[in-house]
Amino acid sequence: MFLQLVGNGLVTGSVIAIAAVGVSLVYGILGLVNFAFGDVMAFGGFVAFLFNVTLGLPIAAATAIAMLMTALLCVVLEGVLWRPLRLRRAGFMSLFLASIGLALVLRQAIFLVAGPQTRAFDVDPYRVYVVASVRFSTGQTAALVVATATIVLVGLVLGLTSVGRTMRAVADSRTLAAVAGIDTERVVVLTWVLAGLLAALAGVLAGLVQSSFDPNFGFSLLLPTFAAVVLGGIGSAYGALAGGIALGLAMEVSTWSGFFGGVDSVYKPVVAFAVLIVALLLRPQGLLGKARLA
Amino acid sequence: MNAIASGEFWVFVGVIAGIYTLLGLGIQLEFGFAGLLNFGHVAFMAIGAYTMAILTVKAGLSMWLSAGLGVLAAAAAGIVLGLPTLRLRADYFAIVTIAFGEIVRYVATNEDGLTGGSQGTINLAGPGQASEYNGSWERFQTWLQHALHVGSSDVAMLLVVWAAALALTALLAASARTPWSRVLKSIREDEDVAASLGKNVFAYKLQALALGSAAAGLAGCFFAWQFSFFSPGDFAPLLTFFAWMIVILGGLGRPWSVPVGALMLGVIYAGTRFFDFPPFSYFDSAERAYLRLIVIGVVIIGLVLFRPQGVLGRREELVLE
Amino acid sequence: MRSAPILAVDALSRRFGAVRAVDGASFEVEPGSITSLIGPNGAGKSTLFNVVSGLLSPDSGRVVFEGQRIDGRPPHRIARLGLVRTFQNARALTRLSVLDNLALAAPQQPGERLSTLLVAPGAARRHESETRARARELLELVRLDSHADALAATLSGGQRKLLDFARALMARPRLLLMDEPLAGVNPTLRLQLLDHIDAVRAEGGVTVVLVEHDLDAVMRVSDRVVVMSGGRVIAAGAPAEVRADAAVVDAYLGTDG
Repeated sequence: MFLQLVGNGLVTGSVIAIAAVGVSLVYGILGLVNFAFGDVMAFGGFVAFLFNVTLGLPIAAATAIAMLMTALLCVVLEGVLWRPLRLRRAGFMSLFLASIGLALVLRQAIFLVAGPQTRAFDVDPYRVYVVASVRFSTGQTAALVVATATIVLVGLVLGLTSVGRTMRAVADSRTLAAVAGIDTERVVVLTWVLAGLLAALAGVLAGLVQSSFDPNFGFSLLLPTFAAVVLGGIGSAYGALAGGIALGLAMEVSTWSGFFGGVDSVYKPVVAFAVLIVALLLRPQGLLGKARLA
Repeated sequence: MNAIASGEFWVFVGVIAGIYTLLGLGIQLEFGFAGLLNFGHVAFMAIGAYTMAILTVKAGLSMWLSAGLGVLAAAAAGIVLGLPTLRLRADYFAIVTIAFGEIVRYVATNEDGLTGGSQGTINLAGPGQASEYNGSWERFQTWLQHALHVGSSDVAMLLVVWAAALALTALLAASARTPWSRVLKSIREDEDVAASLGKNVFAYKLQALALGSAAAGLAGCFFAWQFSFFSPGDFAPLLTFFAWMIVILGGLGRPWSVPVGALMLGVIYAGTRFFDFPPFSYFDSAERAYLRLIVIGVVIIGLVLFRPQGVLGRREELVLE
Repeated sequence: MRSAPILAVDALSRRFGAVRAVDGASFEVEPGSITSLIGPNGAGKSTLFNVVSGLLSPDSGRVVFEGQRIDGRPPHRIARLGLVRTFQNARALTRLSVLDNLALAAPQQPGERLSTLLVAPGAARRHESETRARARELLELVRLDSHADALAATLSGGQRKLLDFARALMARPRLLLMDEPLAGVNPTLRLQLLDHIDAVRAEGGVTVVLVEHDLDAVMRVSDRVVVMSGGRVIAAGAPAEVRADAAVVDAYLGTDG
């Protein structure tokens, strides 16, 4: 039973981790947590649904298309909204409110086009994979495998390629990077592309893991994602990965009956928040974040 | 076109605008004065409403007493939230307030025994029994209607809500000239300077949060009185967003702009219901609701891009730095 | 007979990651004196100031003010004890009026407490008028009284430095920490500020500790000079002594300032 929960935790955690890396990268560009990110994930999930269920494509192809379209959306938004705000030297509040306004627009647009009903992807609901007495549904297996592969890939790209290193440099400090001669605008666009790809992937994987989803599911994903980013330390993509897995595990394992009867599974997100709040009180800069300077 | 002329509809819009004014005044104090980013504001509205309803139905207390306790409970919740979190940096604090809001909504939805669960206060007295906390309020409304010789109890409600909203606005405006609010303003601009001049920044922030939450709690009580029954879904994060929009539309730090902003938002949101021309006419009414929210979202983004001082503010008083 | 030092910094250390910004710094300040803290860029002077005034906490070491340990205490408590600072970039509160910037700094205002406003509004109002009157006097002193009701945003850089100074005085300091008060200030204003600093010591009995790069000014106005380099104090004494000290000459004298 416990092992099953650990397995579930790894699944949930790896999906959150992917979303968290996207948020973390974007944080580096914008300088704030992007509240529209959840609805960008939902956008990806629903586009994939469109191609998978309505148009009958296999889920992998639908996901690929969704990822590309979401990346395109993010680049368009960069040109139409984020870049103009940066040029106006918009402060924290402006960016915050713009992202909230954007979240509203995206979510209502999904409601408008797709309707409020819950949806599900076209995957075999009965197939079960068993690994060391832990049972995974098709959706969970797909999520775990793809997420793990993506995490490894993203980790390698960020750590070893020059593109990845410049992304991290720009995320770390845009002004310093510009001084060092890096073409920050180009890197910003590339970062949005990567974030868009990751967002769509996270949205689809979450939809697979949850079995069904509605237009609000982006928002419900967003909070554990933020928690993971903050837990791992804002500004650190690796921290976001660690934070995601840690939170996923905490959320699932907390329902274990061995912990005083376990937390009611309905309260799993609450566990995520509780972990976040406690972590922030103990270590305000997060797991891998940098300490506050003078 | 008939509906536009319906007085009853606009009275209703007016009541909602009044409730939103109370909600917005809380944000004006918390953010406009003290610079706090509270994005879980609606949770305190829920706490006020639920506390009043639960104490009236389950503990048999007088509704008026329960309402007072509801406002106090909201303030206390603000303190409980603030104590461990107000020392965090601004954006972490914002995230934590959202988390808090979600936790409150979760508890309200799942603790059926306490709150009536997802179906709301209709279940408060237990299954199969109708519960009512509104009896005293409705009697008061009817009494007022006759005392003031107004046409309907709805108009009486309108007058009471706006009496409370304007009184609170006047109070906030009066406080804006005190040394107390000067400290808040200094904290908002530069905490380190305020602290270096001997001000206990944490204590002031906590006060702002508690008082702002109390205002939200009062808004919750009026909401409960207006609608007789409510459920957790009525306190969606969208309401926090609206409260913020009102303050930003009106201009920060100006208490009298809050009722103006609330009326503007109310009229825009309600008025667009009657838009019968393209592109609205292509959609059915359920879809139009989404479209109107999209329009509001675009307006907000437009304001951020093109008029950051808010609709009523002056250029020097930049709302959004 | 020497009186006890008003401020004693003892083996203070503070680092950021691998960088040891302050590394075992120690010195004392005599009451009623003007002490200057000098040193090359990166010597740790600003960090030291931030630790002494409470904006940063030390990793180790002690700070003793008027016989009380203040290291690790929150900045607002330290300010209330009478240790007040000014800022390198003045940090005027631009959204408040010039007068309000000063009125804010007055200590122990009843009008700042909600409870007092509710039960004794009259007393609060009276105190506020007195505060504003005193603020206007200070503004006259620094010749900013004509700007009293304008927003602080309208002041120039040099004027903001005067504002910062007047604001600190308003807080009734016994020890004034001034972080590069002369930086970016034109020559006429410099002389004014130096006169004010001297006057504050002479008439008000306020002890002053300055961080400064302008070595002429430092040598002219200081009773004592403390030299920092690499996070430590490498010399301390009368201006003439320090100027001749080989270690100090080594560190930077003549090549900086």
